Amino acid sequence: MSFRLLLAFGILISLKSSIQAKDIDFNRDIRPLLSDKCYFCHGPDEETREADLRLDQRGAAIEYGAIVPGKPSESLILERITSSDPDLKMPPPSSGKSLSEAEIETFRKWIENDAPYSEHWSFVPPQRPELPASPLKAELQNPIDHFIAAKLDENQLAFSPPADKETLLRRLSLDLIGLPPSPEEIAEFLSATDENAQDQVIERLLNSPHFGEHWGRWWLDAARYADSDGYEKDKQREVWFYRDWVINSLNENKPYNEFIIEQIAGDLLPQASQDEIVATGFLRNSMVNEEGGADPEQFRVEGMFDRMDAIGKAILGLTTQCAQCHTHKFDPITQTDYYRMYAALNDFHEAITTVYTPEQQEQRKSVLDQISQIKARIKQQHPDWKQQLENWADQTREHLVTWKTVTPTEVPYEGQKFRILEDGSVLSESYAPTKSNVELSQTLPAQEIRAVRLDLLTHPQLPHNGPGRSLYGTGALTEFEVHVAPASDPGKKTKVKFTRAFSNVNATRSALPAAFREKNADKDDRVTGPIEYAIDDDKKTAWTSDLDPGRRNENAYAVFMPETPINFDEDFVLTWKLAQLHGGWNSDDNQSYIFGRYRFSVTNGDLTETDPVPLAIRKLLSQPEDQLSDEQQETLFSYWRSINPEYSAENAEIEALWKSHPAPVSQLAVKTMKSHRKTHLMQRGDFLNPGNEVQPGAPDFLNPFQDTPAPDRLDFARWLVSKDSPTTARTIVNRIWQAYFGRGIVSTPEDLGSQSPPPSHPELLDWLAVELMEHNWELKHIHKLIVTSKTYQQSSIISPELLEKDPFNILLARGARFRVRSEVVRDIALTASGLLNRQIGGPSVYPPAPKFLFQPPASYGPKQWPLSSQTQQYRRSLYIHQYRSVPYPPLQVFDSPKGDASCVRRTRSNTPLQALVMLNEPQFVDFAKAFAKRILTECDIDDAERIQYAFQLAVSREADEEEVEILESLLKDIRQRIESGELSSQEINGNSTEVDQHSEAKELAAWSILARAILNLDETITRQ
Amino acid sequence: MNNHPRILPHNHVARRWFLQQCGIGLGGVAMASMSQETAKAASLSDDPLAPKQPHFPARAKNVILLFMGGGPSQFELFDYKPTLEKLDGTLPPADLLKGYRAAFINPNSKLLGPKYPFAKHGESGAELSDQLPHLAKVVDDLCIIRSMKTDAFNHAPGQLLMSTGSQQFGRPSMGSWVTYGLGNESRNLPSYIVFNSGNKGPSAGSSNWSSGFLPTVHSGVEFRTSGDPVLYLSNPEGIDRQVQRSTLDAVNAINRRQLDLVGDPEIATRISSYEMAFRMQTSAPEAMDLNNEPAHVLEQYGAEPGKASFANNCLLARRLVQRGVRFVQLFHESWDQHGGLKNGIANNCKATDQACAALIADLKQQGMLDETLVIWGGEFGRTPMVQGGNDGRDHHPNSFSMWLAGGGIKPGITHGSTDELGFNVGEKPVHVHDLHATILHLLGFNHKQLTFRFQGRDYRLTDVHGEIVKEILA
Repeated sequence: MSFRLLLAFGILISLKSSIQAKDIDFNRDIRPLLSDKCYFCHGPDEETREADLRLDQRGAAIEYGAIVPGKPSESLILERITSSDPDLKMPPPSSGKSLSEAEIETFRKWIENDAPYSEHWSFVPPQRPELPASPLKAELQNPIDHFIAAKLDENQLAFSPPADKETLLRRLSLDLIGLPPSPEEIAEFLSATDENAQDQVIERLLNSPHFGEHWGRWWLDAARYADSDGYEKDKQREVWFYRDWVINSLNENKPYNEFIIEQIAGDLLPQASQDEIVATGFLRNSMVNEEGGADPEQFRVEGMFDRMDAIGKAILGLTTQCAQCHTHKFDPITQTDYYRMYAALNDFHEAITTVYTPEQQEQRKSVLDQISQIKARIKQQHPDWKQQLENWADQTREHLVTWKTVTPTEVPYEGQKFRILEDGSVLSESYAPTKSNVELSQTLPAQEIRAVRLDLLTHPQLPHNGPGRSLYGTGALTEFEVHVAPASDPGKKTKVKFTRAFSNVNATRSALPAAFREKNADKDDRVTGPIEYAIDDDKKTAWTSDLDPGRRNENAYAVFMPETPINFDEDFVLTWKLAQLHGGWNSDDNQSYIFGRYRFSVTNGDLTETDPVPLAIRKLLSQPEDQLSDEQQETLFSYWRSINPEYSAENAEIEALWKSHPAPVSQLAVKTMKSHRKTHLMQRGDFLNPGNEVQPGAPDFLNPFQDTPAPDRLDFARWLVSKDSPTTARTIVNRIWQAYFGRGIVSTPEDLGSQSPPPSHPELLDWLAVELMEHNWELKHIHKLIVTSKTYQQSSIISPELLEKDPFNILLARGARFRVRSEVVRDIALTASGLLNRQIGGPSVYPPAPKFLFQPPASYGPKQWPLSSQTQQYRRSLYIHQYRSVPYPPLQVFDSPKGDASCVRRTRSNTPLQALVMLNEPQFVDFAKAFAKRILTECDIDDAERIQYAFQLAVSREADEEEVEILESLLKDIRQRIESGELSSQEINGNSTEVDQHSEAKELAAWSILARAILNLDETITRQ
Repeated sequence: MNNHPRILPHNHVARRWFLQQCGIGLGGVAMASMSQETAKAASLSDDPLAPKQPHFPARAKNVILLFMGGGPSQFELFDYKPTLEKLDGTLPPADLLKGYRAAFINPNSKLLGPKYPFAKHGESGAELSDQLPHLAKVVDDLCIIRSMKTDAFNHAPGQLLMSTGSQQFGRPSMGSWVTYGLGNESRNLPSYIVFNSGNKGPSAGSSNWSSGFLPTVHSGVEFRTSGDPVLYLSNPEGIDRQVQRSTLDAVNAINRRQLDLVGDPEIATRISSYEMAFRMQTSAPEAMDLNNEPAHVLEQYGAEPGKASFANNCLLARRLVQRGVRFVQLFHESWDQHGGLKNGIANNCKATDQACAALIADLKQQGMLDETLVIWGGEFGRTPMVQGGNDGRDHHPNSFSMWLAGGGIKPGITHGSTDELGFNVGEKPVHVHDLHATILHLLGFNHKQLTFRFQGRDYRLTDVHGEIVKEILA
């Protein structure tokens, strides 16, 4: 066994022996043993239970005779764990598990002491414990220190001295905002005589807008955030509104309970705002599989499992995954419990909703206001408008024909999947081909058809609500065909010739948007335009539903009239052919331009040109006028106005206004279904193998749902953050603690259940949890408590004795020291170099990256990586576009999670690949050059002073003499080699700087190398 | 401002640590979690990549996995079905299709006979299609499994199951488990290296070689045959090796001082990471330079220095294994023949057959085959039913073929069979989990005991499944 682990065990054993001197505590000493060694066969899960014995319940264990309280020698359990017969020995040798002598002894003592059970600590709601007394009381800075001091005392340890001021400032700055302090901030802090100086710094950092960025990224790990779908296609998605919502919420110090409720059920809050809907993006950060042939329901269920997993890890601090397939082996979560929670979540469409930035909202409002004004003007100028409208309505009503919906029964088998909805419409799901020839058919009884109708319908799961599947929610119909054949001879097909077509959406002729162009975009002469394009037998032209950004995501229709009516006096097969060939070339990118939901109908009525009115208008016309609401009246008016030639001038004005409507952004969110899905327990977690139906509810061992007859997702959300939830507050304070100390009070933040290692400071965890809840769930309160504690502010210098005694710093007799997160590694270099662009929020950015990464065979298909402008390249790392399948390498090698599952604990590796990034990655090289330029420009005294300045910028402290010497000697060496011509300053400087004077160029080159060295110091990327 | 005591003289513990660490392995994990601390104490050392002994003496020390992404058609390669040939153009029996889900096609599609003739080869008499003339020459070294089956019929989940033992993302890949269990023998190269070739990238992307919840140091590292073999391996413009050295000397000197001052062993790991990076800057290009290979070897593989090809990758795999790399995974993603089956298979075989055969022959000739396990296969097979007109097949999880060679595998056998139509496995089914259990067994592991505690559970490559396929062991 390694030295380090011996040490780790040493400390655990020493902790344990100090415990054993007192009483045996079931939760601390016995439960982990039972859970790890016994429960797999003798735990909550009936299916794997052996010999009908369960040890997780005291009564059952006693009844069985496994435990005879007070009598170890009569207890079967002791007999079996001490047996030397391999057939009797427990745990069985084949399980690979065993009990040590000490552990057996613990069992014996526990049974001797009457074998008391108690509930697992984390399943009992936290109570605020008394502050432990400490001999150091006078020195302690806040309640946290009491708990730490007591434990240190128990282990004959003491706090380390406070960190020096520069270290503390850098630590605070990196911990709270993820950026190092500026030289001015350092100078100010060091020279401050005000005793509140430190508090002021803490306040400044807590209130900095960068706080939300740094801690936002921390939450995004748990929220498994990424800018792409995952799986094979891994297409880009727009979710940055959610990312910005997280940043803003943390900056605003939004209470944690509200923070969670909005993410789980923001859409169900009364009059949900755009922000509250955006918050539900949390549920939609799951991956989406649109590879050809994927079963939509299978991967929807996978997404549900992922949501459950994320809620378990990030919010409840419980691993629920096991219970997908069977009752949890260790924790008392039954499989039914799992699906009851699942049922509470199982009520929504996976929506891709439309969102507007504040500027766009303003622009949109202005457009809509102006249109309203014009409409008001019409009414004003035509006082008889009401009468005219009524006349029109009466006339139109008279000529309304009856349309019969025709539901296709034969749908194609292909990569795209077709779902027939209750209203007879067809929904395209799963793979969205860029181009598609869809043929759907059904057999119809003998009849005459004088016109056919295609309705394009919106649906929440389509981009921007549809009706198309393009990234704008639009689609294009290259050619519309109907073929008919007698049912008795289906091979005898004839194509129906259409001579006329109408639609309410007739865009002007225009070239294709960039997203749908062929690879050779310039040569692509395909166009879209009005409805005639769908029956012109021309593959180049297509009818599009894309009128303009303000109106393209609404229902649309097209009516097609045959030259002669379709007429059969026997059953016949009618086939709809939708040629949708106006999409782009890359089927692995968002280049689809097909329809998402459509419905067919037919009429034998005599169609006049006044008839084809939009569905919504038909509906209004079929209601008595006096029963229409104001809003409905207005809709009717708007339509009538739009087709009324008398108002052509005003209509033209309105049309022009619509063209200035902003093109919105999309955001993955959820939308409640009108009628909820039924949820069944899935046997072995298989969605094709449903068991009993289950209703929304909470696991028995946790707090109950609030008393509502039919709990919904909002009730579930409120339940998660209810004050009597035993794990929720503990989970979040534990994770905050982990960020500051490198290790949680429970070292497994994703699992506070019975398999979790015991907390190092259980009372402190409870104290912090209660403190959070009693301070209105304000996270900044906990942050402030932690950073103002003596515990936090200790020096992180490790004495040999301490390293020996507590190598993992579990007891916190010193400050924590660890390499910063991937994003901070890059952000420190950006800050030191002076290049950092501090803009907050907005679309993700694309800094330079090797091009081949985004091309096959490095990526599955060709991916977009449109290099951002230079200033955008220097944004903070959390804004870098994140493909799940092709992570951005400089962040990936520093352990950024990929976003394929919720991550509440990053690994922290230390590898040669990291060294290669820091030394050679082009952006880091650029940072070094800019850093050098900054040093030369901002400090012009001498080499030593410049080195000092560089040190300030990179590690926020002064260099000592020896460090200066080391760097001066490097500088001297490089200068000589440049002077002698061995090295070329031109090559080193490259073209990233504008230095014309030769001597300056040489200095810049030499300093670039020096700056690069400083950026590569362990200390630069370490928070200590 | 420097008026506080920063000096802490002679930190013995840290020194000792430094000496232990320096120069060993690829690096360390900064802060082992408690679960690691306690759960796997006996098998973990400070350096997660320090060479380790498996549970029992291993038959194989290294693995080369030739991952044929997309799902190669068994019917055109390894699984000759005369009955299918006879029934070409007819519908499959209805009861066979009960509960069957297909990705693209209507399951009730006509049967499609094999596109290529088969013949028996070698002493073993193994049946291969005529598209594998090179493999035919080494067929007596192969163990062909015709009775593979899997649970997934979409690419990404299927590849994940093959690579990680689970259809879900976030699990460690086979190569990661192996380096977790065995550590790294090479001081200059990563222990787990990945290559990509073919028309596309793998469907499951980098999750195919992800370390999942294992320490990230166990992730596969992508190597390339053109440009830098490893990302950011070359020095920036204008920086020569001497500058790199003097820079590292300065950085290390300051880091070493810092180590003395603050005593954090992690700094020692940082120093050794930088040193290994420096060594890798020469060792990786050296390993990747095919110009040093004799012409007849290049010819044998069909490799051309500087070109990006599967053939080059096969030869590189051998060179890397020779240099102590544990696990080399070659992805060749181009086997998804929904249409254009006949030409697709022919082209893929042209691109891969010779190199696969050369790899076996070369490893054997170099005396490396005994301890190098070579595995060939995709994520699933293809349907006996046609897709489209008469030249395509859909994804099929019920049965497919793979082959293994070397590393303790019984050579010259064909294991298992499928039914007459090749729809289901007939005899001796081998699930992906069984394959994994067998691979780990050959590497000296009890697959049930190579575990890692995560989320309160001891995870393993084979999840809760896996039976060793004893019949294919030498």
